[in-house]
Amino acid sequence: MATQDATAALQPGKRRTIPFFRTVRKYWIFYVMLLPASIVLILHNYLPMFGVIIAFKNVNYADGIWGSPWIGLDNFKYLFSTDTAWQITRNTIAYNVVFIILNLGIAIGLAIMFHEMRNKGWAKFHQSAMFLPYFLSFVVVAYLGMAFLQGENGFINSTILPMLGIEKINWYFEPDYWPYILPVVNTWKNIGYFVVIYLAAIVGFDKEYYEAALIDGASKWQQTMKITVPLLTPVIVVMTILQIGRIFYADFGLFFQFTRNQGALYDTTLVIETYVYQTFLAMGDIGMSSAAGLYQSIVGFILVLVSNLVIRKISPDNAIF
Amino acid sequence: MKTTKKSMMLMLALVFAMSLVLAACGGNNSGNTNSNTGSENAGGSNESSEGAAGSSLEPYVLKMAYPGTKQQDHDKVMAEVNKYLTEKINATLELQPIEWGQWDQKVNLMIASREPMDIYFTAQWSGYAVNVSKGAFLDLAELLETEAGQAIVETLDPAYLEGSKINGKNYGVPTNKEIAGQGGFIYRTDIAEELGLDMSTIQSAADLKPILQAVKKAKPEMIPLFMRDGETFNVHYYAQFDFLGDANIPGVVLKDQDDATVKPRFEFDRYKENLQIARELYVDGLINQDATTTTLSTQDAMKAGNVFMTVQPLKPGKAEEMAAVTNLTGKLAQIAITERTIATSETAGSMLAISTTSEDPERAMMFINLLHTDPYLNNLFNFGIEDDHFTREGNIISPTETTSAYSPGGAWMFGNQFLNYVWDTEDPQKWEQFKEFNEGAKVSPGLGFTFDAEPVKTQVAAAVNVRKEYDPALDTGSVDPDEVLPDYIEKLKASGLDEIIAEKQSQFDEFLANK
Amino acid sequence: MSSSATNPTLGVDPLKKAKRERNPNEIGKKANFLINVFFWLYTAACVLPLFLVIAVSFSNERDVVVDGYKFIPQTFSLDAYRFLFEDWTPIVNAYGVSIFVTVVGTILSVILMSLYAYPISRDDFPHKNFFSFFCFFTLLFNGGLVPFYLVYTQTLDLKNSLWALIMPYLVGAFWVLIIRTFFKTTIPVALLEAAKIDGASEFRIFGSIVLPLSMPVLATVALFQTLVYWNDWFMSLLYITKDTNVSVQFLMYKTMLNIQFLSTNTQAAAGIAAGGGILSFPTETVRMAMAVVGVGPIIFAYPFFQRFFIQGLTVGAVKG
Repeated sequence: MATQDATAALQPGKRRTIPFFRTVRKYWIFYVMLLPASIVLILHNYLPMFGVIIAFKNVNYADGIWGSPWIGLDNFKYLFSTDTAWQITRNTIAYNVVFIILNLGIAIGLAIMFHEMRNKGWAKFHQSAMFLPYFLSFVVVAYLGMAFLQGENGFINSTILPMLGIEKINWYFEPDYWPYILPVVNTWKNIGYFVVIYLAAIVGFDKEYYEAALIDGASKWQQTMKITVPLLTPVIVVMTILQIGRIFYADFGLFFQFTRNQGALYDTTLVIETYVYQTFLAMGDIGMSSAAGLYQSIVGFILVLVSNLVIRKISPDNAIF
Repeated sequence: MKTTKKSMMLMLALVFAMSLVLAACGGNNSGNTNSNTGSENAGGSNESSEGAAGSSLEPYVLKMAYPGTKQQDHDKVMAEVNKYLTEKINATLELQPIEWGQWDQKVNLMIASREPMDIYFTAQWSGYAVNVSKGAFLDLAELLETEAGQAIVETLDPAYLEGSKINGKNYGVPTNKEIAGQGGFIYRTDIAEELGLDMSTIQSAADLKPILQAVKKAKPEMIPLFMRDGETFNVHYYAQFDFLGDANIPGVVLKDQDDATVKPRFEFDRYKENLQIARELYVDGLINQDATTTTLSTQDAMKAGNVFMTVQPLKPGKAEEMAAVTNLTGKLAQIAITERTIATSETAGSMLAISTTSEDPERAMMFINLLHTDPYLNNLFNFGIEDDHFTREGNIISPTETTSAYSPGGAWMFGNQFLNYVWDTEDPQKWEQFKEFNEGAKVSPGLGFTFDAEPVKTQVAAAVNVRKEYDPALDTGSVDPDEVLPDYIEKLKASGLDEIIAEKQSQFDEFLANK
Repeated sequence: MSSSATNPTLGVDPLKKAKRERNPNEIGKKANFLINVFFWLYTAACVLPLFLVIAVSFSNERDVVVDGYKFIPQTFSLDAYRFLFEDWTPIVNAYGVSIFVTVVGTILSVILMSLYAYPISRDDFPHKNFFSFFCFFTLLFNGGLVPFYLVYTQTLDLKNSLWALIMPYLVGAFWVLIIRTFFKTTIPVALLEAAKIDGASEFRIFGSIVLPLSMPVLATVALFQTLVYWNDWFMSLLYITKDTNVSVQFLMYKTMLNIQFLSTNTQAAAGIAAGGGILSFPTETVRMAMAVVGVGPIIFAYPFFQRFFIQGLTVGAVKG
């Protein structure tokens, strides 16, 4: 860290005094390095951003996108004005909140357990196993889900439930189970990734803190709560803010493919993404889907700014920008 | 912080600059469309001769998208097709089969992005109305006046063009096939015979129970009646609901009645009766218990060999057609239940539309004309190359070893089915039966009307999802209608059912007034 | 963004390896045992589903339909694979496409992202904040599917091109920021200054000092990019209609889509049925065999990267 301060010291106030073209001449090589990725960003990310105007138009192809009539916020209405709209918003947010909490709590717990394991070889092994589901695409995971949950011959219905003497359950038909199934699947699939991130941070902590704590007679639990968790805070903040920014987005793979888009489950599985997709299929209206995308982006944007602001108030060091 | 602000300014400047670039692109696009219409007119003027005078035409590549699986011998057959087309209309065909699962998404995007395309497959159930209202398809009025167009008009029953109009204009050329629709059952004759069942007792869904029970008793491993969403007693072809457009949007009239009042389905007695019947059968285990969630298509279920009966839309030879794809040749028969009716769902059930992005709509129409009038091309397209993919005696064809390398199964999408050869397993009189079938069918009051959902799209978006939540479970009898139907109705009302019905009714009234 | 550049927080050297021989602070035997048991169970939960899929793919179709999915095939059968490989060209072809896209995409994206990350990691570069934000902004905002499709098909004319599969994932803002943080926190500025005094160009410094020191983070990013490219099916769905450019995941996903099509689009299904169209799907064992084929190589790529990525992520993630 000291090195950074040194850099800062090396360049005191230069930033403001150097005129633009001299900067360019001095750092031209940097611009060359920035160029390729910038081109990609412009083409891939920035150029399509103008598409947001579609959200405010009733597009017809004869007039083209630019020539189609403006219709104000009409395209957004379906996201707010009906009961279904309320239901999908509720589902999306509720699931994401649960996912964020689970991804945080379980991942940190597991990371600490890994760290404390005596046999590092086995720790590595289990960690690899835990990471495995993260490697599978949701297409594969949906196939796995079918293998387990399928009506008559799925593994759970054909083997586990008979063993326990329980009646077969028509999983893809009973919405009540899905608020549990989805978090389990989501955790199962993604936890390895979060564990690695937290574990990586924990491994990096200075051992001296713990040694000092041991001398003071602190128990494992106390060490965890008083040293590990506080030290992890910056990582937790970054990971959580990033997820909060995505709180209005739902994993299409999880909610569409894994649920097989079964209508009977909609009460608990319909989220913004699947609703929009469904509408797109029925209406073929690109204005409506663009409106949904814009709505998600804006809410995400605001949430990131707000949560960052809150964190900046509480602990300025941990804010990400 | 200051630098951040400056950065933001720079960014904005950049973004602005880029918007100009994009605007320029957009401008180009509209320029293209203009030049398209230009060339169309030009084509129209020097194109009066048409027909065999293919050589007087500029060479042109026709692009056509349709839903289906690309066949192994696709290229081989296309080479043949192109040889013939070059001779006839100096064009070659670039055919893009898109698999069903991707069709909606891909076509929506292709249309939205104005991809150059000449011909799209379309149908009332595949976004026809939406795409027309967005201006994706060409108004065919002028093209149907041309020589190529007239030849098609002459072969088609006038009900087709009448029944596929939107706001009085035609945007698609319907496939010439059965024009009437009918609902009924397809069942396994071998099993019925074995058990000595008298199938003639079946006059309606209510008569099914004893038969199905007998099947279940004698063959417990069999599914007496296979159902899935879309193949139930309340599907439009069976219950004779005319949805006046998209069948996801509530509000129907009855095809077999003359009443023009649009009502939600649950206000009709037959809807509730059918739900009760299905429920009874389901509770008795006569319907597959995973009817709402099955991943099997009916064909696959039949193929597995343990299905006795299904609900199907019927036409002459339907059972034989199904038998051929399920390896049950000679073991299937059909029972017609409903009256034969003609509604927009049939007349606009399969069409070829010319895209507004086509650079030579005239030529596209010539190609459609050939599909409708030229037996050689039509059959080449549908069955492949003679003596390779099939052998022929007169109009009867037999499969060969390579038949499976080219069997797109899309004869109902392309042109004129009455030109098709008939497989040796089918009734040689198939097309005569089709004609008989078409004659004397009852015309639905809604024929020729298609609902435009745009004014109520918010409500429709919600209603479509509610439908998907309840319909499959209710229609297959998987849930108790007495308990669930009230919920369904309540949710539909909450999503704006009344507005949708009112809008549908007012559009429909206007249509009837102008008729 | 600006504060993160000048505001280092964690006084930790993350590269320091944990040496833990007979540490007095080690957990008790009982706790260790419990943790071990727990992890064995968890590992089983992660791995067994895959075994189930493999087992089913080697089972007899009838057994599966009648008796259900079992971990041990009642009758061992290669039918599913025989069916899949009957016409093996599409599969081999799809593998070729997937491997090409994954390899080229991963390499290119790591190069592009590290090239971008380096200048913005340098505190003396005056426009670093602008370029950081330029990149970060893409995390928050996007134009939606249709404009994105328009740009790719019309402005860039990439339909049916393999570049349409590669380009969308080339520059991920999140990873750029992680690499930037890694550069910033682990490469001693003194080293860079020394090299500069020796007359090395920025490009050389980057190539011969920065990159070699950054292997952990680059390997991590490479791993995740490999995953993204290998597992992607969405870009294929959007842009590919040509059979020869279909990837393995999409080959698998296509089937899923066709199955889903029936339940999503009932009226179309009825329309097809009325027309006489054919909707036929692979059997259950074949579906599972397809899953096995789709998973295949990615499992083997994993150990190759694994040894790097703890380090890589540590530093990167501490300050996004």
